[in-house]
Amino acid sequence: MSGVALRSENLRKTYFSKGTPPVEALAGVTMEVRRGERVALLGRNGAGKTTFLRIASTLLRPTSGSIEVFGFDADRTPDKVRPYIAVVPQEGKPFFHLTPREQVYTYLRARGLSRETAKARTEGALEQMGLGGFADRLAITLSGGQRQRTMVATVIATEAPLLFLDEPTIGMDPFARRDVWESLRGLTQRGSTILLTTHYLDEADALSHRLYIVERGRVIVTGTAEDLKRSVGGTLKVTIPAGRPEIERFRSFGSCVVDGEVLTVIVAPERLGELMDVAVRSGLSVTVGPVTLEEAFLRVVGRSINED
Amino acid sequence: MRTEVDATRRPFRGLAAFFWTEALVQLHEELAMATSMLVQGVLLVFVWVLNPRLIGVALVGAVIFSVFAMGQRVLNEAAYIRIDHKANDLYLAGPLSPEAYFVGMSAGILAVYVPPVFVVGALAAIVAHLALLPILLLVGLAAEVWVCSASIGYVFSTAFRDNRAIWAYSSLFFNIFGVLPPVFYPFGLFPAPLHPVVLLMPPSAAAALVQSVIGAAVLSSGERTLAVVGLAVETVALFAFAVYWARRTVRGR
Repeated sequence: MSGVALRSENLRKTYFSKGTPPVEALAGVTMEVRRGERVALLGRNGAGKTTFLRIASTLLRPTSGSIEVFGFDADRTPDKVRPYIAVVPQEGKPFFHLTPREQVYTYLRARGLSRETAKARTEGALEQMGLGGFADRLAITLSGGQRQRTMVATVIATEAPLLFLDEPTIGMDPFARRDVWESLRGLTQRGSTILLTTHYLDEADALSHRLYIVERGRVIVTGTAEDLKRSVGGTLKVTIPAGRPEIERFRSFGSCVVDGEVLTVIVAPERLGELMDVAVRSGLSVTVGPVTLEEAFLRVVGRSINED
Repeated sequence: MRTEVDATRRPFRGLAAFFWTEALVQLHEELAMATSMLVQGVLLVFVWVLNPRLIGVALVGAVIFSVFAMGQRVLNEAAYIRIDHKANDLYLAGPLSPEAYFVGMSAGILAVYVPPVFVVGALAAIVAHLALLPILLLVGLAAEVWVCSASIGYVFSTAFRDNRAIWAYSSLFFNIFGVLPPVFYPFGLFPAPLHPVVLLMPPSAAAALVQSVIGAAVLSSGERTLAVVGLAVETVALFAFAVYWARRTVRGR
């Protein structure tokens, strides 16, 4: 098996439907995910994330371009790819008339795992996802978050070489999300590879080795979360309770955004002291914090939209 | 890596496990199970009120209608799993083969809903004085009807994007294939010019053949041939197409 888990070259997908103009969901995506990596695919709604995941997981045919999973062509030889992958579909739900224990166990059996392995993995996954107390209740009686945990438990229990997770923690509470993160880290330590989409930027920050940002079917940024944060001109965010009149005073320190009566400046650490001097001399108070991935994402995607 | 990957492609891979999954799902749906024979029961009462001497024919029809209805449950279940749960993506983006998904689902539903049909079948055998040969014929023909119905149900399930649209079509199938043609009543009562049409419909073809064997209907040799050959060809062709369709529709275009 090669060191590359997934590779796409100039992957395109256009949806055609009668009576409406064609929609170009992917406009040439080139991407590589190495074995053992956790990679996040980020983007706005409709950016093309789910389309990419569906093509990679053999559930959708591309219009052109190529995509390989562990060296197998995912478009031409999907049967060879499927044993290596497992998918948490976007908005997927477990069978309402199965319990989480039954759902996970029968799914593993359907994938060909032995009774003993399936049983052991089921118990492990239920415990990791905090489903112990609900394991024997029908899914129809569970909350949305508990059902989502069941879906994630079902897929992580496979320990498949490549896992596709489309918004896996949607609807989960912060504790459950951290359980998922911990499980995913454990999986990659044991050799699995993970490609996930999420709208929780803190999740992408905490979890991904690398990330790709897609916008209108194109990859506009790739790198680590830290790379992305640095790309917006600094890693520190200075918040100043001053409106637009003060913006000229701070513009030279980095990119400035005014939101009501609050001015935010993204600044490099080495210029922080200088900026604070200016603020103090002007009688302004400042609050300093790290730039979050969400702020970097908003700036990068916003810039891309403006350029278009 | 702990997971050993068996990358061999095998038709019907995972069939037994998915059959059990679906059966388990259905076993938890007590209300659906309890009401599964409601329509057949009502139709039997109608026939009994109108002409009690036809109750034997109607019981035979109830057996055939019931297995047809089980096939149609496949339509609802497959569409529900795909549209509401998106669980088909969970299963099909994995080693489970698409044909195992279709057949396992159909057989799982059959396994859970078939016991009451045995009771109706036993009643039919007693009331209509069925000998061994007609009983075996009924079982064989009912199996063919089930294969046809499940195949049609699965193929049609892939055409819908909204579950509410399915209810109307499902009801249409029930009435056109099961209630309107001579399934619960003797074949001879149906207008003669339309006999070839109903003999090409799996439930009425099966019912007409059983009725002819127990003396409740008279079929010409041409009609008998049409029913036997038609049903056999439909069974093989519809099943083969459904397997092909199951494989083709794993992936959107």
